[in-house]
Amino acid sequence: MQIPIEYYLILSAALFMTGIVGVLIRRNAIIVFMSIELMLNSANLTLITFSSYLGNSIGQIFVFFVMAVAAAEAAIGLAIIIALFRNKLTVNLDEINIFKW
Amino acid sequence: MNIDSIISDLIFIKPEIAIAATLVLIVLVDLISPKSKTALPYISLLGIAIAGVFVVQQFGTAEFAFKTSLSSGMFAADDFGSFFKIIVLLASVFVIFFSISSSEIKSVNDHLGEYYTLMFGMILGMFFMVSASDLVLIFISIELLSLSSYVLAGFVKNTVRSSEASLKYVIYGGVSSGIMLFGISLIYGLTGTTNLYEINSIIQIQSFPHITFLIATLFITVGLGFKISAAPFHFWTPDVYEGAPLPITAYLSVASKAAGFAVLIRFIKITFINSIDHHGNWELLNIIDWRSIIVLLSILSMTLGNFTALWQDNLKRMLAYSSIAQAGYMLLGIAVLSDQGLTATMIYFIVYLFMNLGAFFVVMLIANEIGSEDIEDYKGLGKTMPFLGVTLAFFLLSLAGIPPTAGFIGKVVLFIALVDANMIAVAVIALLNTVVSLYYYVRVLKNLYLVQVDEEKPVIKLSFANGFVIILLAAPILIFGVYFTPIVNFAKNSINILGF
Amino acid sequence: MTLEIVLFVIFALVCLVSGILMVTRVNPVISALFLVVNFGSLAGLYLTLNAQFIAVAQVIIYAGAIMVFFLFVIMLINPEHEKRFLEYKPQLKIFAVAIAVLVFLQIAYIILFSKPSEGVSREVAASVKAGTIEQIGRELFTKYVLPFEAVGYLLLSAAIGALVLAKKKFK
Repeated sequence: MQIPIEYYLILSAALFMTGIVGVLIRRNAIIVFMSIELMLNSANLTLITFSSYLGNSIGQIFVFFVMAVAAAEAAIGLAIIIALFRNKLTVNLDEINIFKW
Repeated sequence: MNIDSIISDLIFIKPEIAIAATLVLIVLVDLISPKSKTALPYISLLGIAIAGVFVVQQFGTAEFAFKTSLSSGMFAADDFGSFFKIIVLLASVFVIFFSISSSEIKSVNDHLGEYYTLMFGMILGMFFMVSASDLVLIFISIELLSLSSYVLAGFVKNTVRSSEASLKYVIYGGVSSGIMLFGISLIYGLTGTTNLYEINSIIQIQSFPHITFLIATLFITVGLGFKISAAPFHFWTPDVYEGAPLPITAYLSVASKAAGFAVLIRFIKITFINSIDHHGNWELLNIIDWRSIIVLLSILSMTLGNFTALWQDNLKRMLAYSSIAQAGYMLLGIAVLSDQGLTATMIYFIVYLFMNLGAFFVVMLIANEIGSEDIEDYKGLGKTMPFLGVTLAFFLLSLAGIPPTAGFIGKVVLFIALVDANMIAVAVIALLNTVVSLYYYVRVLKNLYLVQVDEEKPVIKLSFANGFVIILLAAPILIFGVYFTPIVNFAKNSINILGF
Repeated sequence: MTLEIVLFVIFALVCLVSGILMVTRVNPVISALFLVVNFGSLAGLYLTLNAQFIAVAQVIIYAGAIMVFFLFVIMLINPEHEKRFLEYKPQLKIFAVAIAVLVFLQIAYIILFSKPSEGVSREVAASVKAGTIEQIGRELFTKYVLPFEAVGYLLLSAAIGALVLAKKKFK
């Protein structure tokens, strides 16, 4: 028996929402970035699932690109965090918001 | 697809190659002579000029490059793309002029090489964005643009404001690109392809769950709405615009927005088109009610942008909200879903390029002198800086859409397109919004001229080069305000999106 | 075929639980380690989907490079522990979680409702072929050569950008 595609898709949707929750409730900028990585990974899981079930490799090539993008985004994001940490000595998003509405 | 066809396709990406080569050249020059930074802006301008020549040469071509199947490809070389490339290049030229005289950028003179490199990264990303016809390339080029602009927004890193802006930008940007990627993955799953043309031909014949497709498309719209800073995806805009160095703010508000619009238009038109009748109205597939979605986004953006701008005291922040509102006006042209509406949006973009860049430039020059962007500090500046005062007033009046300026023409063309499409109610809302926006633009003018200041301040001189740049920006607004046939023709001639 | 199901269940559970733990732990180091576990189990899931190359890349790039980078920055900055879930603005957090659960149920309903498994059935041969490194490499350097080059510039910009931001203060 084959695993129905729904299982993979629901798992990926669950991971995606976990990532969203992480972005919404966490105040530590680094953990917010890790949650964003989780969101990208859930999209990767969807892409690979479809790629495997449809039997074409576009999805896997896309995932390969997404990995490069995610690495670059993590590098930039963490560099920004370090630059900010030098100025403010905190990575807590609640203390960072000097901007008003 | 073999190596020969790849090499022969290179001819279609000549402008991109020029930009990429300049990027590498800047890195090399900066490595070889790390002390001297004066040549960098001129190398950048040269690269842009060469790319500009290639773009102009490309007008009239309509071909796919880097084909992924027989009838469609990765990259669409067409007039629509070339039009937005011209907008991007013009904005880049002006922003390089801005950067030369910006005191914020002077304070990071050691890193000027990186500054221009990242700027070319942005240009390259935008060039790919406006021509991409495959979701893979769209995603990657948006990321190329975003990553470079995250860094540039926080470039003056020893100020807390700039770093915070950049952190806010990267978090919002990361979330929205994650959401967009999830949408793309769903569309890939439903259709088995990422090419917009192939998606179109598949959804024309196949039946599939509409609601999943709707959700996927909405997710992609979130990502694109973030790039064009349309409400309700605008939360980053005021903070980033306020915190970023002013040349970058100006660049984000014009070029980055233009590229986002180009992707949105291409995505809607290619993916969902069914047919185009002889009046140029787009008959979209009956899957997603694009008109309602865009009208909703547009009204939200206009109303929220204009009403929040009313109580802003920082001029940069006020211009940020004003640019959200301007995005709302430009969305109206797309909501018409016809060639006429598209033309109107493109005309508006030409005008918006000059007036928005002009307003930001004058604000930057004033901030260089008085060290503040607060509207209260502008009191009496009409006397001490007569030329800057007059031109700022002129740019703001054009943004508001007052008659002898080109801003008026842009709005009129939009409203005509709306009325022709029988969208009277939307036109009325947009008109009311224009009236509201008048109030906060005029408030600046009031501070410039009508408020009496007791102390006598000396008149501040303006350098010749900066005055010249201002005239370069102001003259088109004045000329196109009375003689607008050239821009109308230019826009009309460049609405050809490949395939339709 | 039962082995496939057993593997799926194990990896899916590990993946889900470690994801949730990553989001809820107050200590950033523990969060990062759970994310490594999560990425590892995703690699396992990719193997059950016959995506060998991506599975290996997932371990090397994500679980290896990116997470080491995250841990390195956490060690460098040594951020204080956050407040526990309900200690700070509990209403807001519960609201966020409730919304997320609601959206998840919505998506899950749509996925089940649209019955994608009726439309696609996995052919093992095609699926194995799609995941081979030959197939991916061939497509990457022919059809997808333009995005590939664009990613090259993206990495260049990112490297320069990260360098300029993380360097010591300007003189």
